[in-house]
Amino acid sequence: MVSGENAVALLVNGLTLAVALTLLIILLWHDSRSEVTQFFSVFLGLIMCWNLGALLAQAGALVSLPSGFQRIPLIILELGFTGSSIALYALTAALVKVFTRRFRALVLLALVLFGAYRVLLTVSGAPDPFVVQADGALSMASRSSLTLFYLVFDGASAYLLWRFQRKIRSRLLKAGLVAFIVGQTIGFLNPELSSFVIATVIAAFAALVIGFGILQQQIIRPLATRKSEVEALRNVIGSIANQTESGAVLQQVARQAAQVIGADAVGILLLDGDELVLKTAWELGVEPEAVRLARGHGMAWQSVLTKQLVQVEDYRRDWKGAPDFPIATEVFGAVMCTPLIAGGDPLGAMMAVASKQGRMFDREDAYLLQLLAAQAAVAVTQGHLFHEQSALTSAVEQSRNQLETVLASTDSPVIAIDRSFAVIFANPAAQALFGGFNPEMRGSIAELLPASAFPANLRGALRELRRNRTLTYEAEFGEQVFLAHVARLGGPRVEGWVTVLNDITQLKELDRLKSEMVRMTSHDLKNPLQAAMSNLELLRDDVYDDGTQDVRESVDAIDRQLMRMNRIIRGILDLERVKNGVIALEMCRPERIIKDAAQEMAEFAREHEVTLTSESAPDLPPVACDVEQFGRALINLVENAIKFTPSGGRVLLKAASHDGFVDFVVSDTGVGIAPDQQERVFDRFFRAKQKGVEHVSGSGLGLSLVKTIVANHKGQIWLDSEEKVGTTFTIRLPAAQDTGL
Amino acid sequence: MKVMIVDDESAIREALGRKLAREGYDVVLCKDGLEALKEFHNRRPDLVILDIVMPEGMDGLTVCRRIREVADTPVMMLSANAITEADIIDGLNAGADEYLTKPVRLGEFVARVAAILRRSSLTTTDGEQKYDDGYLSVDLHRRHVHVSGKKIHLTPTEFKLLAVLMESSGRVVHQRDLLEQVWGREYIDDVYYPRVYISQLRRKIERDAANPAYILTEHRVGYRFERQPNVTAR
Repeated sequence: MVSGENAVALLVNGLTLAVALTLLIILLWHDSRSEVTQFFSVFLGLIMCWNLGALLAQAGALVSLPSGFQRIPLIILELGFTGSSIALYALTAALVKVFTRRFRALVLLALVLFGAYRVLLTVSGAPDPFVVQADGALSMASRSSLTLFYLVFDGASAYLLWRFQRKIRSRLLKAGLVAFIVGQTIGFLNPELSSFVIATVIAAFAALVIGFGILQQQIIRPLATRKSEVEALRNVIGSIANQTESGAVLQQVARQAAQVIGADAVGILLLDGDELVLKTAWELGVEPEAVRLARGHGMAWQSVLTKQLVQVEDYRRDWKGAPDFPIATEVFGAVMCTPLIAGGDPLGAMMAVASKQGRMFDREDAYLLQLLAAQAAVAVTQGHLFHEQSALTSAVEQSRNQLETVLASTDSPVIAIDRSFAVIFANPAAQALFGGFNPEMRGSIAELLPASAFPANLRGALRELRRNRTLTYEAEFGEQVFLAHVARLGGPRVEGWVTVLNDITQLKELDRLKSEMVRMTSHDLKNPLQAAMSNLELLRDDVYDDGTQDVRESVDAIDRQLMRMNRIIRGILDLERVKNGVIALEMCRPERIIKDAAQEMAEFAREHEVTLTSESAPDLPPVACDVEQFGRALINLVENAIKFTPSGGRVLLKAASHDGFVDFVVSDTGVGIAPDQQERVFDRFFRAKQKGVEHVSGSGLGLSLVKTIVANHKGQIWLDSEEKVGTTFTIRLPAAQDTGL
Repeated sequence: MKVMIVDDESAIREALGRKLAREGYDVVLCKDGLEALKEFHNRRPDLVILDIVMPEGMDGLTVCRRIREVADTPVMMLSANAITEADIIDGLNAGADEYLTKPVRLGEFVARVAAILRRSSLTTTDGEQKYDDGYLSVDLHRRHVHVSGKKIHLTPTEFKLLAVLMESSGRVVHQRDLLEQVWGREYIDDVYYPRVYISQLRRKIERDAANPAYILTEHRVGYRFERQPNVTAR
């Protein structure tokens, strides 16, 4: 008779395994490609073989099948029992993630070896390891080959469980695995104890517990943690959005990371020059800012330099570089470190630490840490940008204040207008000019200022502004006269114009007084000069031919001095004239200008014993010039050349044309001009100091006058000079189009 | 030939007078504007040489204008205070035929005096002697000019200018040719003379001096006299 206990046990086993099968189905439906699930399905299948074998063997005993038939369920039982111990090892290895690359092949090989060994046993006629009594009680032969398999695989499984216990987080799962090993052990007890049924029941229960543990680890726990992860991310992102101070955000990130990943401590380090500085520490046991890692030191630097996640399971054992923190080797267990990267450049690193007794980090933890690191990088970048922007804003504000203070304190009116000529800025001086200007009004400039304040030729002025970007003109406000400097605002596109007005009323008055004085002086000097010259000429008529040599020389000397005085006065007046006068351009023949100038200076050259020659190239084109003024310019140059040429020297005056220009060249064999003085000779009142020339009379106005006249003619003037060799001045005027007259 | 010299500086007045006397001119010397006007009426000189800045109320420009009111006698300005061309043009606009700036060499002074006297005595020679379009009528031979039937006075220089332009009517007369023919060879560089006289002439004979019909400017080249259709024919 089959014992009642056996029947109940088998029934319970059936139910248990049915539930375990349901769990397997759920697991397979969730992720059939997971190794753990796959190994669990093999494991469960083999346990079912074990139970099925046990059931059939007992049933066979009841109906008294022939012994040949009775062996089949026993073989199934044996396959299930031994196979499940192999599968247990495979499952454990998969759970702790410790298996070699050819692990599946090895497990398969073990199964094949077992099969071959079993066939060998059968062929050699060895007794079956399992025995079924007539009452259906199952027992194991005490000395069985199964012991070897049991010892190898269950032992290996037990070792893995103990060695990597931190890797299996679910206690239920650990308990199930241990229970199964214990269950199989019970099966090896003496047959007299009839313990095999208990072993079967324990194994079936263990399978159910393992199934549930796997379900918890694969499905339930991830679902639960995902919720907290999403919450953590939401918190982090929310704090980034709300906080401008990156320190607070980093603190938040570190705390959330510790919670979500289940790390015992988290630290965030940021690059500062060539060092990594610990900015935020969560339960790390070191003060922020106290830790500064020199380049290349610690895991943090490695992750920054490689821009990759760096991970160790045991800091003391696995990290070969310099420690990140002094205490790290003592207290750190598993450590992950990921760089903070923004725009491709690392900003720092974030480190998650588990204590020596803490957990291991898996791939999901690494992903989560990287995700949080990315958020931290965003927070840091945003903090930098915000700081830069605040600094920029305050700098702009400061310069704006300075500018406004300057503009407000200056006496010169400053007015800015936009493209539609509306006033957008007016300093107090300008507002006084408007007479009760309200800055809010933004009125048109034309309504605020009298017509005399604008350039007479408005269209021309705008054209000039467009071309030169600046414009200067005289603006009149009643009695006051201003020099207005206009400059455009904006980049390539005109946004408006700004005008600075300088009060030149007094300058104008001074200038007028000066002109008046020059006029009066000239009149007062020229009348005596005229009288002296006229009388001297009358005297010359009377006494020159009949007088003595001394008389003649005296008359000549007086004449020369009077002419010199005349030239000096004329020089001063010429400048006044050129400054005020409008030039009257007309067609002139260069050869005639040259000839006239040479004629005028002939006597002066004779007096200085200098040979003055003039020459003109044939067929010169006419030039447009003011004969009077341009003649004076040439004469000035010739006069200078003669003055600075020692007696016996030569001065050449010539005209030549090329490429639509006419050059008037005055060259001498004089003392020359030192290179450092060449640029300044055109300055007003500048007198070059020439060696070998003790004193040369003149006002120093000559060349500045020449330059002004040449500029009035839209020409150019330059000089080439070598000391003790001579100087050549060249005036270049554009040739006029020949009118044929 | 009688030449009057008006200058408040006796040294200048007398030196110039002595030089002209040596050249064979009758010389009348005056020390101020009022005396000059009085002597002008009494002695009827052929040429007046005027200083501009003079004391005693009346300056040279005023004297010149007064003379112009009654006579076409040529006037030469001799001044020390001309600095810009505008000063010279002011003098010419007052009716002067000539403007010299002090100091001037006696040789040049004498030459200019000779030139201005030659110009005023010059009569037009060949070519058409008369022009009449109903509005403007000119008799070159008798030196009569009528505008709208009213006789007008032209200074010798103005008349000479009109005559030269009319002789080449329809053709451009270059500035230099104009200077040479009207004023003389030695004036060839005094380019502002034609400008001033042309504008005065226009004011006297044109209907609208700003939009001249008779005397047209060829910019930077010269001037041209254009005959107008006869208005009485209509």
